[in-house]
Amino acid sequence: MKHEEREVVIELKNAWKIFGEQADQAMQAVKSEGIGKAEVLDKYGAVVGIADCSFNVRRGEIFCIMGLSGSGKSTLVRHVNRLIEPTSGEIYLLGEDVMKLSTTALREMRAKRIGMVFQHMALLPHRSVRDNVAYPLEIRGESKSRRWDVSQHSLSLVGLDGFEDRFPRELSGGMQQRVGLARALASDPDVLLMDEPFSALDPLIRRQLQDQFMALSEQLHKTTLFITHDLDEAIRLGTRIAIMKDGRIVQIGTPEEIVTNPADDYVRDFVQNISKLKLVFAHTIQVPINEYKPQEGDDLSRSPRVSQDVDLDYLIDVAVKTNQPTVTTDDDGKDVGVVSKDRLLQGIRDGK
Amino acid sequence: MVEDTKPDVTKEIPKIDLSDSIREFADQNSDYYVECLTEIQATGEKVTPWNNAAMLFGPAWCAARGLWNMFWLFTVAELVALVQLGRGIWGDLGAEKMSEATQLRERAHELRLEAGVAGVTGDETAESSAEIATNLEKAADIAMMEAVAAAETWWIYLLAGIVLFVVLRYVLGRYANRLYELQYAAWRLNRNTPNGFNMQRLIYALALLAVLVPLTLYRFTVSNPAPWLTDVPIGNSYFTTSSNVLDSWFDRTAELGAGVFDGVTAGAQTVLDVMELFLVDAPWPVVAVFLVLIAWRVASIRVAIFTAASLTYIGFLGLWEASMVSIVLVGAAAFFCVIIGIPLGIWFSRSERAYAIARPVLDLMQTIPPFVYLIPIIAFFGTGRVPGILATIIFAMPPVVRLTALGLRQVPSNVVEAAVAFGATKWRILIGVELPLATPAIMTGVNQTILMSLSMVVIASLIGAKGLGQEVLTALQYVAKGQGILAGLAILFCAMMLDRIVQGRFQRQEDQ
Repeated sequence: MKHEEREVVIELKNAWKIFGEQADQAMQAVKSEGIGKAEVLDKYGAVVGIADCSFNVRRGEIFCIMGLSGSGKSTLVRHVNRLIEPTSGEIYLLGEDVMKLSTTALREMRAKRIGMVFQHMALLPHRSVRDNVAYPLEIRGESKSRRWDVSQHSLSLVGLDGFEDRFPRELSGGMQQRVGLARALASDPDVLLMDEPFSALDPLIRRQLQDQFMALSEQLHKTTLFITHDLDEAIRLGTRIAIMKDGRIVQIGTPEEIVTNPADDYVRDFVQNISKLKLVFAHTIQVPINEYKPQEGDDLSRSPRVSQDVDLDYLIDVAVKTNQPTVTTDDDGKDVGVVSKDRLLQGIRDGK
Repeated sequence: MVEDTKPDVTKEIPKIDLSDSIREFADQNSDYYVECLTEIQATGEKVTPWNNAAMLFGPAWCAARGLWNMFWLFTVAELVALVQLGRGIWGDLGAEKMSEATQLRERAHELRLEAGVAGVTGDETAESSAEIATNLEKAADIAMMEAVAAAETWWIYLLAGIVLFVVLRYVLGRYANRLYELQYAAWRLNRNTPNGFNMQRLIYALALLAVLVPLTLYRFTVSNPAPWLTDVPIGNSYFTTSSNVLDSWFDRTAELGAGVFDGVTAGAQTVLDVMELFLVDAPWPVVAVFLVLIAWRVASIRVAIFTAASLTYIGFLGLWEASMVSIVLVGAAAFFCVIIGIPLGIWFSRSERAYAIARPVLDLMQTIPPFVYLIPIIAFFGTGRVPGILATIIFAMPPVVRLTALGLRQVPSNVVEAAVAFGATKWRILIGVELPLATPAIMTGVNQTILMSLSMVVIASLIGAKGLGQEVLTALQYVAKGQGILAGLAILFCAMMLDRIVQGRFQRQEDQ
């Protein structure tokens, strides 16, 4: 099933968060007069954390929110489970209006529906690894034997068998973060909120954990909201990506859309150095076959044929083995376009 | 070309021009100050131009320019100089010796008259009286000579006064601009710093000087200044009235609150009785084995050996019962401190306002001398062990409260946030996350409380709490040095024993 057809699990509508004593007045002024961030700070001494953010995440998606530090991405993710109360806006989780939940119902939802992983692990130092993983279940009042069973299973999912009777401080950073992931998975939640989980780790370990997380995600089909400041990570993991700047969402799209079609200069700056080989597909750069002007020595009948859905990486492999331009075909095997070597080089550089 | 875009490092770094800002700062006479401050800054603060205004007007210049610290410093210093000057010029330097001589002479005169009368009546005291009178007259002559000599030293005072005054003004003239430059730097950081030349400040300063200088000169240079200047012209009637009001208030409260006070006493008494049953009334070998075993199980074998050694010391010196009574007293006080202090600490870690109100009270509890609150405690609770414990609680509770609040505040917020994110209730977070993470701080507080309780043992014995404190107290009363030291060492061992056992449990957790 395509993602677009699945049910919406997380939905934010026009969420605003303004920090400060006069946040409500500032909010009203923003709505009625449309004043900007600087004026809010100037007039009300309040800081705009997130501004008019809307998005939805469908079941099974990994939705990445990418932005630099201070862009409001961590604030945004905390709205989903109301660790931070929005100043204005609507939040729905699994079809329920999160803002209307009573304290008890909210706690219930946090305990059963949402698992969260934090940048600095936030493990309980005085509890064993097992008891850390079992903590969400303990909160839910599960029996001890069930807690032990589930935490054991959860730890084996992240590959930490045999470490259950250690203390967190005895583990390396990468292992601690895997404990954090196991803890989030322990309550078998529908939604995973991951707040820069791999940012504090060194690149090699980060890569390993990303792979492990992708494999797990495939296996468990969790809907994930993933916060990161690293565009490479967002592109590797994300089904879709939202790019944030100064509390606003600048662009939402699939990795390909973001890379090939940046919404503004800010996003363009980001994607400039991203390798496009795996993100850009033949259909984006091909010239329609009826518009193609053959060069000297071209003979399209001798050209190799590939599906128009292959990526540039694959196109390069094909192109180096021939001196003819590559012809692309649609699902029925009909010729639809041509990618000359010039066009391919341009595509590698610009993504279009 | 690449070379063109390179910054030219050989070019001089452009100078910033501060003269406008200095002009704004200095206000009056700004051209002069621009020149001075720029020179100071340019020479690396090595050269300071002379300041005539500061030298001439001294403290008044400081005030007008807003250098209040300097104003006070130089006002006081110049007063000292002026007093010497005044003494030298018009002070009556020999006055003290002179009046002594006059008194001696009068006494001698009286004695001579007595001697005369005695001689007439044939009394045998006549001779000795006459002799004393002669001696007194001699002493009077010496005093007289000293008075004259003192009066002749006027020029030393005069000279000292002049030298001091000149030195002070020289220093001010020399360094005024340097200080003013510092003031300018401060003003750049904080625009509320006094700046410019301010008439209002000058008037304040002159008014202050007009009061301070004449009064001080008068007090120090006139031989018999008016009594209203030397003593505050108010009797002790306010003091008496106030203390009487407080007395009656305490009496009334003691009467009205008798029920409450008796209830508190009964509660504390119960805890004391239970603890006493175990430690004092039980056979001593049982208690000794019990304490050593507890030390071993809870702490470590080393603490157990130390406990055994301490108990041996106490037993051999015959201080067993006194020590146990003291341990009961301290144990009960520490128990109440923890029972009351930890919840208070939790509250204060949550409520900034409550803590702001409580902090001065905690300071008061720790700093006010125990004797002060011993008096009302006696008024309310009488004498004996219970008031002793109450006094100890007042003194020893603040560390537990403070360190509990501190420990809870220092719990990493991300761990608490994680617990919230997993749906934990506030109570569960407190019990399962915050208190365990704050344990090191809380245990430090408990440790402080135990040690402070033991230091109160002697003072508590003043109001009838028995035990080692009483031994020390009697030793003090009879100046029995040996007894005091032996009992004091026993207090020390009790304290260390209790502390090591309580800390031991926690220390073991840490080591794991």
